[in-house]
Amino acid sequence: MRLNKRNKKYIFEGFRYSTLTIWLVIVGFPLFWIVGTSFKPDAEWFAWPPVYWSETPTLSNYANVWMGKEELTVTQYAQSMQKPWKALGNSTLVALVSTSLSVFFGAILAYGVSRYQVLTEARMFQLLMLRMVPPIVIVAPLSLHYSTLGLLDTHLGLILVYFLTTLPYAVWMTKSFIDEIPMEIEQAAEILGASKWRTIWEVVLPLARSGLVATFLFILILTWSEYLLALLLSKTEVVTLPVELSKYEGSTEGRVYGRQAALAVGITIPLIIIGIFIRKHLARGFSFGMVRR
Amino acid sequence: MAHIEFKNLRKEYGSTVAVKELNLEIDDGEFLVLVGPSGCGKTTTLRMIAGFEDPTIGEILMDGRVINELEPRDRNIGMVFQSHALFPHKTIYDNIEFGLRMKKIPAEERRIIVKEVAEMVHITPLLNKRPGQLSGGESQRVALARTLVTKPSTFLLDEPLSSLDAKLRRELRAEVDRLHTRLRTTFVYVTHDQEEAMTLADRIVVMNNGEIEQQGTPMDIYSNPKSYFVADFFGSPSMNLINGEIVEENNKLAFKNNQLKVQIPDHFSDKVSGKVTLGIRPEHVKIKSDGGEIQDVIDLVEPMGKDTLLYFKAGAERPFIVIIEGLVTNDFKSGQSVGLDFPDDKVFLFNEHGQRL
Amino acid sequence: MGSNNLAGTSVNSTREMTRARAIKRFKWITISPIVVIFLVVLMPALILQLYFSFFGWTVYLGSWLDAEFVGFEIFEEVLTDERLGWAVIRSLYFSFGSTVGCFLVGFGLALLMYRPFKGNAFYYIMFIIPMLTVPIVVAYTGEMLLYQNGPINGILSSLLGHDIKVSWLADADIALTTVMIMEIWNWTPFSFIIMIAGLASLPKEPQEAAQILGAGKFRVFFEIQLPLLRPVILLALILRFLEAMAEYPKIWSLFQGGPGSVTETIPVLIYLTTWNYFEISKGAAQSYVVMILMILIVLGAIWVLRREKTNLDQMYK
Repeated sequence: MRLNKRNKKYIFEGFRYSTLTIWLVIVGFPLFWIVGTSFKPDAEWFAWPPVYWSETPTLSNYANVWMGKEELTVTQYAQSMQKPWKALGNSTLVALVSTSLSVFFGAILAYGVSRYQVLTEARMFQLLMLRMVPPIVIVAPLSLHYSTLGLLDTHLGLILVYFLTTLPYAVWMTKSFIDEIPMEIEQAAEILGASKWRTIWEVVLPLARSGLVATFLFILILTWSEYLLALLLSKTEVVTLPVELSKYEGSTEGRVYGRQAALAVGITIPLIIIGIFIRKHLARGFSFGMVRR
Repeated sequence: MAHIEFKNLRKEYGSTVAVKELNLEIDDGEFLVLVGPSGCGKTTTLRMIAGFEDPTIGEILMDGRVINELEPRDRNIGMVFQSHALFPHKTIYDNIEFGLRMKKIPAEERRIIVKEVAEMVHITPLLNKRPGQLSGGESQRVALARTLVTKPSTFLLDEPLSSLDAKLRRELRAEVDRLHTRLRTTFVYVTHDQEEAMTLADRIVVMNNGEIEQQGTPMDIYSNPKSYFVADFFGSPSMNLINGEIVEENNKLAFKNNQLKVQIPDHFSDKVSGKVTLGIRPEHVKIKSDGGEIQDVIDLVEPMGKDTLLYFKAGAERPFIVIIEGLVTNDFKSGQSVGLDFPDDKVFLFNEHGQRL
Repeated sequence: MGSNNLAGTSVNSTREMTRARAIKRFKWITISPIVVIFLVVLMPALILQLYFSFFGWTVYLGSWLDAEFVGFEIFEEVLTDERLGWAVIRSLYFSFGSTVGCFLVGFGLALLMYRPFKGNAFYYIMFIIPMLTVPIVVAYTGEMLLYQNGPINGILSSLLGHDIKVSWLADADIALTTVMIMEIWNWTPFSFIIMIAGLASLPKEPQEAAQILGAGKFRVFFEIQLPLLRPVILLALILRFLEAMAEYPKIWSLFQGGPGSVTETIPVLIYLTTWNYFEISKGAAQSYVVMILMILIVLGAIWVLRREKTNLDQMYK
């Protein structure tokens, strides 16, 4: 077989599709498994050989987790912890508010940086790196400080922390979207008599809207899935979904795979939908100054 | 040196056809210009010669050999891109040297050739700089130098001057011309600028909608356009084209629109009739202060330095322009009525479908 | 006041002054709320942390102010503690391993996918899903898969013909590597997205020019594409590395630092010290040491990334 242009192309295509499909299986199998497990009745959770596809799928896991149908085993954990809807509410509230604050302040600050360099490049990088220090190093005194302030186990407390930790991403990502808007448009508005704030509100932000939405959704994903801070800064009131999931396994009945799977699927589906929705923007937002167009 | 041939070339992108049924021969050493509006298929054709696009149907031959299956690097070609495409992270010297390294030419020889080529395009002082530090004109010279070192048998140039300002464009155009004269290799040049085509080409191929509208020497194309499209495309300012219809009067055919009436020269067949477009180049219209075939009022006088342009309405949608040599703004004023003469041999007629009659 | 014009200097100066003032005002308005929140929320915590490092305190002591000043004693204890050293090593192993893994896979996928092809969108969507999966969910999914009677062992058994029951989660030798693989699964999309964006943003024409000049596909990749991708590559590596150093949910919920202490990374150690052993001061000192370590790493990262950005700015003017 001659190694000419056409043949090379076929070989490459074959290689590409097979490699991609391999990774597709690696990505897809865990997803398939957890969805499958969420429909499995108790008996199949730990079976050997493993049950790949249940012959007797059941909705009881979902019913139990999300509808609280089944009798709860009387263990200390089971009693107090099985409150997914409350956790859902907490997650939603905390995530939405902190993300809104983050994107709002972040975008305005980003505007200042983009147009007037209110922060130097050095500061911008320092801001980004601030997020990179592991939160574990500060959680302990933070929770003590919070308990003094009365912020422990409150929504506000969690919101403030999330606001600070996601702000660097908010600023960087929105800046890259604002950078794409030419100065001439603002100058045109200025000539027509608009004040700076009005220009930002009525001209710049609307034009950057799709990027802002994408940043918002991305940070929403981050706050929604955050675990450590939520775990240590909450006790019973502000339990978020990820923490709720981890408390599920603490019960003395041992692992309750099916139920956990049902909970996990519920947590993850909204995020996956959001992520797919904003996928085109993620690339643009993730450049951090390292990509030229 | 390379003789290139296209046989029934066709290029489709899904449902769009970029190039239809192209048959063309390019002679060894010829400077061929592919010219036409955006989207006409000229760049696609060039990229097919290079090997960056594969024809859907058809063959490309070089010196009698079918090269469809050859990789670009094996086709013995050189290419200059619209955006100069220099390697931004390498020095100018490294950029130029690149092709020689690919051919495994030893270091000493490489140095000599790079210096030579740099001299040829006058960029020797720039050798240690990087592309980011160069101006547009300098970058394109480097692009030329880079492609010269491999001594290809064919040069492909894809709108290399489009990103430059007018003055630089003229300078580099002359450079390209000089290069061709010196090297005598086949040049295939793509542009949308008719002036570039006219000045550089040995032969022009006018493309429109994926097809060849007309080909010929610049003289041919200019004085003998076969269609409305070609007539309109070449010439600056462009040919005057007025819509109207043929009427019969005293057994003679005349062209008439809502403002003027012109007798049709005898060399047109008796068969012309119906809606037609009359064409005459601005430099061919004769001004007569009295008399003349038709009368019209001057709309605008534009002094251009060497020439003066006179604008008329002539019942057309586009301004009707006449060029007069010299700065004659004193003799002609807006609002003045003058006579216009259309010499018989310079009048063109085009039918509703754009074909020349 | 900054105007270099000679003509009309006074008019320009006033306008420039007003402008400069307005910008300063803008700066203050936008930054102050953030600074205030920082000072109220985080600053005290940082100071408290420092306090505890020098004033020994455990929960049994009642009020904070009862703590005794102990000078550098606690720091000494922490810095000579082998356990901290091991935690650092484990964290580094975990972070390096998962970062390199994420990068190799992500880059590889990006190389195969950055040019359009049939089915592109489908693969792209599927490949970014792992990043959207909450890490704790990844942890539990991992457990369900790797549990002794789980499907991974099941598949291996089917393939090899006899029962294989690898103890992915309980075998001290491979536990850390197991969780590292989970991390790679979770975060490859991050590198993937960044690298695809980088590859797609590379101008096509220099690559074509190189091909015409005789370069083969590999040479074009190594000499023309890769050097221009360096900033993006470093970005992907650095960001992922730093986040991996802080990884907590997977390791804690699956292993709690075990079996033994093989998965005791830095976050796990600090957690244990503070919340299990209640040695607040020791935890505080450990936190400070780690914070300093991370800040040094971060400063290095900033230096690298800024240099790359400057480089890029020069190249593209």
